[in-house]
Parts: sequence; structure tokens; C-alpha cells
Amino acid sequence: MALKNDYRLASVDVIQQNFESRNYIANKQIATAVFLAYHLEKPVLIEGPPGVGKTELAKTTAELLDLECIRLQCYEGLDESKAIYEWKYGKQLLYTQVLKETLDEVLQGAKGLSQSIEKLHEFGDIFFSNEFLEPRPLLKALRSNEGCVLLIDEVDKSDHEFESLLLEMLSDFQVSIPEIGTVKAHTDRKPLVFLTSNNTREISDALKRRCLHLYIPFPDADLEKQIIHARVPEIAENLRSQLVNFVQELREMDLKKVPAISETIDWARTLILLHSETLDQDLVNQTLNVILKFQEDIESVEPEIATLTNKALKDA
Amino acid sequence: MDQTLVEFVKTLRTAEIKVSPAETLDAMACLDRVGYDDREFLKNSLALVLSKTPEEKEAFDTCFENFFNFDHFEESDFLRHEDDENAGEGDGDSNFEASGNSGEASSGGGQGASGATPEDLPELKLQPESELGRMLMSGDRNRLTVALVEAGREVGVTDIVVFTQKGLYTRKIMDAMGGKALGEEITELQGHGGIQQKMLSGALKKHRDRLRDRIRDYVEKQFFLHADESGKQLREELLKKVKLSNIEKRNFKDVQEVVIKMAKKLISIHSKRRKTFKRGQLDIRKTLRKNMQYDGMFFDIKWKAQKVDRPKVMAICDVSGSVSNYSRFLLMFLFSLAEILPKIRSFAFSSDLGEVTDLFEHSTLEDAMAKTMRDFGNGSTDYGQMLADFKSHCMKDVNNKTTIIILGDARNNYGDPKNEVLREIYDKCQRVIWLNPEPKMSWSVGDSEMKKYAAACHQVEVCNSLVHLERVVGNLLRNVS
Repeated sequence: MALKNDYRLASVDVIQQNFESRNYIANKQIATAVFLAYHLEKPVLIEGPPGVGKTELAKTTAELLDLECIRLQCYEGLDESKAIYEWKYGKQLLYTQVLKETLDEVLQGAKGLSQSIEKLHEFGDIFFSNEFLEPRPLLKALRSNEGCVLLIDEVDKSDHEFESLLLEMLSDFQVSIPEIGTVKAHTDRKPLVFLTSNNTREISDALKRRCLHLYIPFPDADLEKQIIHARVPEIAENLRSQLVNFVQELREMDLKKVPAISETIDWARTLILLHSETLDQDLVNQTLNVILKFQEDIESVEPEIATLTNKALKDA
Repeated sequence: MDQTLVEFVKTLRTAEIKVSPAETLDAMACLDRVGYDDREFLKNSLALVLSKTPEEKEAFDTCFENFFNFDHFEESDFLRHEDDENAGEGDGDSNFEASGNSGEASSGGGQGASGATPEDLPELKLQPESELGRMLMSGDRNRLTVALVEAGREVGVTDIVVFTQKGLYTRKIMDAMGGKALGEEITELQGHGGIQQKMLSGALKKHRDRLRDRIRDYVEKQFFLHADESGKQLREELLKKVKLSNIEKRNFKDVQEVVIKMAKKLISIHSKRRKTFKRGQLDIRKTLRKNMQYDGMFFDIKWKAQKVDRPKVMAICDVSGSVSNYSRFLLMFLFSLAEILPKIRSFAFSSDLGEVTDLFEHSTLEDAMAKTMRDFGNGSTDYGQMLADFKSHCMKDVNNKTTIIILGDARNNYGDPKNEVLREIYDKCQRVIWLNPEPKMSWSVGDSEMKKYAAACHQVEVCNSLVHLERVVGNLLRNVS
């Protein structure tokens, strides 16, 4: 493959540095995944809890390579007419009308029925040709001239049938359109495909087999501090470690939804807006709804706030 | 190089990581790119290609560490005496490239099976007579290794199936290496009485013990590498037949796997039925095509909506003291089913009924079961109350597509059974299935109300082993879908 700017994917270290300069802190596994995805021309299936930066990884890669990021958001009932292609029915209808009126001209000079039909056959496939084709994300990705990053987001939300539909695309970088034939990606500029899944259901083995599988867990405290530093650089160092410690403690608790990195980032931004310099009980109390999204969770954490805050302060 | 990878993949499969041939090919392409130079890089890369769930990744880590590593526990032994020759050969960490020829890394588990230098017997004059004894005293570890591996091959150590065979194979290998002759010699020397003889026999004994340890390690390694599916299948078949209540806690994990496997099997026979509806989204493409022949007038309209019809299941599980063992398993089974049938609703009760559907959806199996048992478990049974609760809470959701599964022994402590409520449910839903862990004989004995309830059920089954459960659920899906 030869995408432009691919020197930025030359090695794992280079990738890590480049990601970092774009405020995405990637560990070795993540960088290796991107490296191999590019060099082996394989899609990457990214799994992990919500909010750890799965989607962000695809977007950052697109930004890094300076390529378009084509995104296909999956949902229940997504089918090929929304994912691959659709015919422009309105246009086809219009052209049918036009053709009807000009039928006489077309058939001029034709003698007998058989000749007329022969003449008509010359028009036969026009209605199902490229001009009438409305490309959807997958087809767009295959046809893009300089390559692109294709993000198939939350693939676990789609139906089983759609998964099977993806298989051809993922293994051979092609889709078959019955009326036209097979559309293939440019051999040198195949799209770089990322699939994300929150694991709400098991992805089929067939799909997994075609992908590299990357699991992104919640980061440890050090990595999370780095991430916060990259994303919210204006936050003071001690506050940063305090809030990271606090969130790490929360993740140990039995909650409906534990805070993810995106919540930590939101919280850091909130604290900056409030001009806080250090974590204290009241502050946590007031801003808890930034990191916890369920009333039950907030209620179960509230009595623990004092202990948690003290612990976070002490560790930091 | 490729041989190493194939060996590694074999090891992974033994550790229950599903690696398809296609993935092996991917791994090879990946190796071409990555090479064996950077250990961490290699590990990360192979993990991406070969392991596809978080659990598999964990197993992969262990396998990788074990496989691409020579056992260096002997190293200290050698280095003391033989640091000049072959230093570091037994060390996989510092000399990672060495694993390039790691046919050995997997099969030569007994690498360095001799640390046998005559360290503390410099004045020993006597030489042992048995071949093995001479080998041990000479400290020629290469020869010993070869002998060990050959003996292993001779007794077919790769056929090892279950853990308990370890001792057997250790002895067999020892015998094949000439352990018997050595033993006889030691006894003889001890009987002789001379100082030299005593010293020699002592030394030989020591070496023999050390050799035995090494053989055991070797066998253990072979066990982990080769005791593949066959042993597992054996165990699973056994488990299926064991009564649910007798299965011990330590087998719990295996049972879980059987259940999950079964649930997967069930979905493959569970066929989807599609209905074309009279309304929904207009399928323009189909409509256009269909109506071309009518000069573009739309009078045969096609709709997009197709509905996948799946059984709607409600399961009610008795978790009171008397049946708690069984219900743990039904709960476990339901948990697996819940992943397949999106419409399943689960309830648990001792006397008051509680819904556990959400709990099942949002927590892990262990968590969900523990919480269910905590919240509802081990009270005294009241089926009447349960039915009344069900009626007041869920009756409105019951329709002619609903299947209701009740698991319990129907022992009502002589309370009001309220079988008329069950009757009402029976009339409204498609199926009521009652699974009773007790054998049929005891259904009418004591406080069991099974006879009364059975009248208001479509299907009543004895269910106290996984085989039963499998059959019942198989029937359910076939009949309903």
C-alpha cells in the first residue's frame, strides 16, 4: 500500500509520537495495531468499554494521514441500501418519462418489431449504471481516489445479516452490486478500516477472523494522567493527579456505569471552568454528575465521597 | 521459522484460543513484517492477529510467555559449573533469538535435564556400572536431554490426556531411561557397606531425585502442550450426565462452558422465520421492478419490513433453599440464553417475585447469580404468592407468543397453591413449561402441588441434569419459532 503521508506510520515508535503530537496517547498495543493494520492491509476490530477512545483512534489516524474519515454509524435495521449503495429512483423515474416522449425519435428508421427492440436494448442498462448510483459510506470508501479511513462504528448494534454483508468488504476490499458488477478498491490505496464494538453482543467468528483484534481497557493511572495532560493541558499537575486518582477509585466500585476517559476529560474541563485548584468534598459533590450518569450511581457514591476524596488527595 | 509459529499456534489451540488456518496465515504475514527481534513488538502483534476476545488475550499472554521462553530454572545449576560452555542457552530472556529454533522450546521441555556434575565428590574413585548412572555422574547434559526426549517419545508422552497421568508417565520415562538398573545398583551399593560405595550410592540417589524432578517437569510441560481437546471432551461428556446438584464448585467453570456451548448450539437450530408485512417502509427498488411491466403504474406495492420472529420467553426461577442448587444452573442457562433471545425476561423468587432481567443484562454471570441469590434466595417457598405477583406485574405482557418457563419443585409448604392463576396464564400464553428437578415419583408426595399445577401446563418435565435441560430447551425453540 502507498497512501500519502505513510512515513508517519513507519514504525510503532513513530506512530506513538505522531499520535501524541495529535493529543492521542497510544500505548504500544494500540500503535502496533495501527502499524499492522496498514502494513498487513487488515481491518482492526476495536473492543473495549465505552469512552476509552475507540472512535477517536480512527479519527486521529485519519487526521495523521491527512485522509478523509468516512464514518458508518451502525444501528438496528441498517441494510445495504444505507451502507453500500442505493439507486437514484427519482432520477430513474424522470428519465423514464423523458424516454417515453423521445421514444419515437429513438425508434426512427427501425423496421419491424425486432429491430425496434434491438434499438431499445441499446438503452437497456442505462438506468442501472453509475450515473444512477447513489454511493453510501462503504462504496464511497472503496471508490475514494487517495484512500481513506473507514470507521464502522458500533458494529455490535447492527444485525447479524449486516455483519455478513461486511465480510466481502473486509476480506477483499470489494463489494458486489448485482446490476453493475464488483467494485474494488484501488490496490495501492485500500481504505484503512476500523470497526468499533461495545460488546453488547458477541461479534461473529467470521468477522473476527478477518480482523485484527484490539482490546482497549481502561487506562492505568499514569496513562490516564498523560491523556488528561494531552487533552486538557491547562490543568494544574496536582489537581490532575487528584482527579485521576479519584476516578481510578471510582472504577473499583460497583457502579452501573463507571466513568470512562471521556468523563475524566469532561470533569477536568469542568474543574478548570470552576477555577478549582484542589479537589475537596463539596466540589466533588457538586460536580459528581459530570462523571456519573445514573442517579443510583450518584447515590451510592455520595456517602463515600469523603473517604474517596481524602484518599485521592493523599495518593496525589 | 514457520515451524515455530505452527507449534505456537498448536499450543494456543490447546489453551482454547480458537485459531483458524486463515489466522495462522495472517500471523505469518505479520511475522514477515515484525520479525523475531523485538519481543514485546512480536507479542503485541501476534496478540492482535491470533487472540480475539479479552479472555483469549489473557490466555495468549500466558502461552506466549511460556512458549517463547526456555526454562531457566536450571540455569543457576549450570552456571555454577559450566558457565564457560553454553552459558545462556537456557535463558530465553537475554537470548531471545535463540527461540528461533524453538522446535526445542516446545518439545525440549527437559532442556538441561542434567545439572549433574559431581560437585561434592572430588575424591570419588568408584564408577557406577549402570548406563544411566554413568550418564548422571558424567554430567553430560546433552546426552541426558537426548535420552530424556527419546524415552519420552518411546512411552508416547504426547498422548497424555488428563493431569492425573503425570505420575504414570514420569515413572514410565524413568524406566525407559534405565531407572530400574540404577535403582538396583543403588540398593546393591548400599548393601556393600564400603565408604566409597556409600558415597557413590548417595551421589547417585541425589542425582536420581534430581532427574526425577526434571522428568516430572518435562511431563508437565508436555501435558500443557498436548493434553488438548480429547481430555476436555471426556470431561464435558461426564459433566453433562452428572446431576446438577452434585457438581462441585470447582467444576463450575467447566459447567459454564458446557452451558454456553449448548446455548450456541441451540441458536443454530433455532431458525428465523420472516414475515412480509402489509405495511412498513416502501421498498422502492422492488416496487419499481415489479411495476415496470405495468408501464410504471404502481399497483403492486412491495414493503421493506420483514420481521424476525423469535420466541418471547419469560422464565421464573425458584431460588428457595430446597432447589437453590438447580436454579443456579437454570439461571446460568438463562443468562446464556439471554444473549441469544433478546426478548427473554427472567424472574426469581422464594415467595415474592422479582425481575432479574436487567441484572442479567448488565452484569457478569457470577455477579448476576450472586446478586440474585442474595436478593431472592433461600427463603421459604410460596408459589401462590409468586403467581399472584406475576399476575399483577406481568400479565399485561403475556400474549399468544409468550412462552413461560417455571423451574421449581412445586413444594408449597402446604400453602394456597393458587393454581387458578396459573390456569389464567396458561390460557393467555402460548406455552407454559414446568421443569421440576425432582423425579416423577415424588411429585405427589408431601407438600408437592405438582399434580395441580401440571394440569395448567403444556409441558412438564423432570430436569435435573444438563442433558435434560438441553432437551427441553431444544424442544422449546423448535416448537415456538
